[in-house]
Amino acid sequence: MKLLLVGCSHQTAEVALRERLAFSPHQAEQALARWRDAFPATEGVLISTCNRVEMYAAADHKGDLPTHRQVAEFLADCQGLNPHDIFNQLFEHSGETAVRHLFTVAASLDSMVVGEPQILAQVKQAYHLAQRQNCAGPLTHDAFQSALRAAKRVAGETRIHEKRVSIPSVAVGDFAQEIFARFDDKVVVVIGAGEMADETLSYVRAAGARQPRIVNRHDARAIDLAAKHHGVAVPWAELDQQLAAADLIISTTGASQPVVTLERYERFKDSRYQRPLIILDLAVPRDFDPRIGDELNVFLYTLDDLQAACQRNRQEREGELPRALSIIEDETARFMTDVYHRATRPIIQQLRSGWHAICDAELQRLYHKLPDLDAAARQEIEQTFERFVNKLLHPPLESLRAEARQGTPHGLLDALKRLFRLEE
Amino acid sequence: MLERISITCFAASYGVALGLEISRLIFHSAWRNVLLWIFALAGLIAHTLYLGYRGYEAVLTHHTPLSSSAEYYLLAAWVLGVMYLLTLALQPRARSGIFFLPLVLLLIATSRFADGQPFPQERAASIWFTLHTLLLLLGYVVVVFGFAMGIMYLLQAARLKAKQPPTARFRLPNLEWLELANQRSVVGAAILIILGIVAGVIFNLVQQGIIPWHDPVIWRSAIITGWLICALLFCALYRPAQRGRKVAYLTIASFLFLMVSVLLGLVFKSEHKAPQPLVNRVRIEAVNRGMAACRRCAGEACA
Repeated sequence: MKLLLVGCSHQTAEVALRERLAFSPHQAEQALARWRDAFPATEGVLISTCNRVEMYAAADHKGDLPTHRQVAEFLADCQGLNPHDIFNQLFEHSGETAVRHLFTVAASLDSMVVGEPQILAQVKQAYHLAQRQNCAGPLTHDAFQSALRAAKRVAGETRIHEKRVSIPSVAVGDFAQEIFARFDDKVVVVIGAGEMADETLSYVRAAGARQPRIVNRHDARAIDLAAKHHGVAVPWAELDQQLAAADLIISTTGASQPVVTLERYERFKDSRYQRPLIILDLAVPRDFDPRIGDELNVFLYTLDDLQAACQRNRQEREGELPRALSIIEDETARFMTDVYHRATRPIIQQLRSGWHAICDAELQRLYHKLPDLDAAARQEIEQTFERFVNKLLHPPLESLRAEARQGTPHGLLDALKRLFRLEE
Repeated sequence: MLERISITCFAASYGVALGLEISRLIFHSAWRNVLLWIFALAGLIAHTLYLGYRGYEAVLTHHTPLSSSAEYYLLAAWVLGVMYLLTLALQPRARSGIFFLPLVLLLIATSRFADGQPFPQERAASIWFTLHTLLLLLGYVVVVFGFAMGIMYLLQAARLKAKQPPTARFRLPNLEWLELANQRSVVGAAILIILGIVAGVIFNLVQQGIIPWHDPVIWRSAIITGWLICALLFCALYRPAQRGRKVAYLTIASFLFLMVSVLLGLVFKSEHKAPQPLVNRVRIEAVNRGMAACRRCAGEACA
């Protein structure tokens, strides 16, 4: 089996090139159809995400495999680009290195945010698309199935995926969801309508929150954000009422002074009856007086607190990296041993069938000489011959298997061919 | 086969499960959850079989099944074991075993020091007596369950106040879930124990026409019931008491009252128990009379 990978990723190419080369699902479908026509003897899988475009090609014989230049021209052609513009920015891996790279990508160890979970689904989708377009075959099947197994092992045996590393995801996943079991019955109030509010709201809505209330000094932006998240825009004048009713507050204004002072909080504090309140103060400078965080059943998290949590999570992920990489090495070695061992199969089959043919001939001669042998005796003799052949074959097969751990055992295969006069 | 199952069998299984729960704080393992379930379930199955066999034995010897204080502790440990497994199923990532399993083991250990003498058969046969003991038992288990939930709540709240995100090694259920469990524990325990006391009063009135106020067990029950009524009233009249740390404090205080009650029970013996068997009584009387009790006739003939 020969495997070639040509592509670019966030580690090797500028975002401008990645944008130009990126394939939408429809474009990928068309590209694979063209691949089938251009390289009929080669299996192909195209992975295209915002951070990478990678074309995997696999063939039984090296001669069938396209060259780096051909793949680069193919990709450029599909996207209407000049091959010369992209040629030098594409990387190439082949054989074991390509396999290792695929496993690393599937396990999300090559992602911009290491451990992000989407990439595995994207790799699966890419493979299924290749299957639908008849571009995938037994070689890519083995490689991608092994990649999924490696990714599953990394997810199961390390904690690399457990840690969130973005501010909104940590705010909601590591803090808000540790306080509230559900969000559909909670009142979510957003103060400010900036980008951070928008992103955090996406996570809160994904957690189940309904009808967030957006309070902003400029009504138009509040209305836009409310429309985007199926929420309600509330006039700035009603802020105190909303704060009294809130279970979760996300504050992201650009105010230069705290919007909610301790005195302002105390005005509506009693009406809350010590109901738990989460405040995600994502503004700089802060919107909430930090003393409010000392109040009973108030959980106040500022940008600094969340950044510290992100940093801790990032370090924990990095701490898991050596273990994850050792799993990748282990799986790569396992896959390559299978591949190398597969290369010895035709010779083993020839050897085995040749010896069995000799056995059969000798058995026929024996039966001819001893026609009175009953069925039980014949069966016993046949089994003896079978055992004899297997025992003779065992040492060379073991030597082949052992040698296959280091690579295709060309030397041994040649020796076997010459010794036993086997054909190519 | 069943007679070979001993307290050590299921206590050891729970012990291993506790060890596995503690090891979650130290290192990560993909197989541990499976092992944890195996040992916790094995403990519960052995526990069930042990109690079942004890009950069967009692029936064969014409005694009331599972009616001694020691057996009640084992029954309480069994119910708490079931609650632990339910929590494990509902909150698989939470380290609840660290809080539950020591309590299960504590109840099993307490059963070793508790009175093993069964209640008299004429008492145990009464439906009111059965209700009385069953409701009290369940009420006390709910108090113990609430204690575990209360401790978990306080730990989780302290961690979130300190802005510490959860770690994979030590996770707890979310505060809302814990708060609800605490609220329900206070209310549930109060209802069960009060109903248990009422059933006991009815039983005494039906059987004997009087209530044995001088019995220490009545005072023990009165202490915890009094506290639970106060806790209920506090929750009903003061709305913030149903929330957060306050309700956790209530469940922990309930457990402390229960502990006091248990200690009193170990010191002051109840009159709920059966009268001493004849042979023992004769021996004691003989000793009281200053005579050595004959081993063969227990002093009866010699006297």
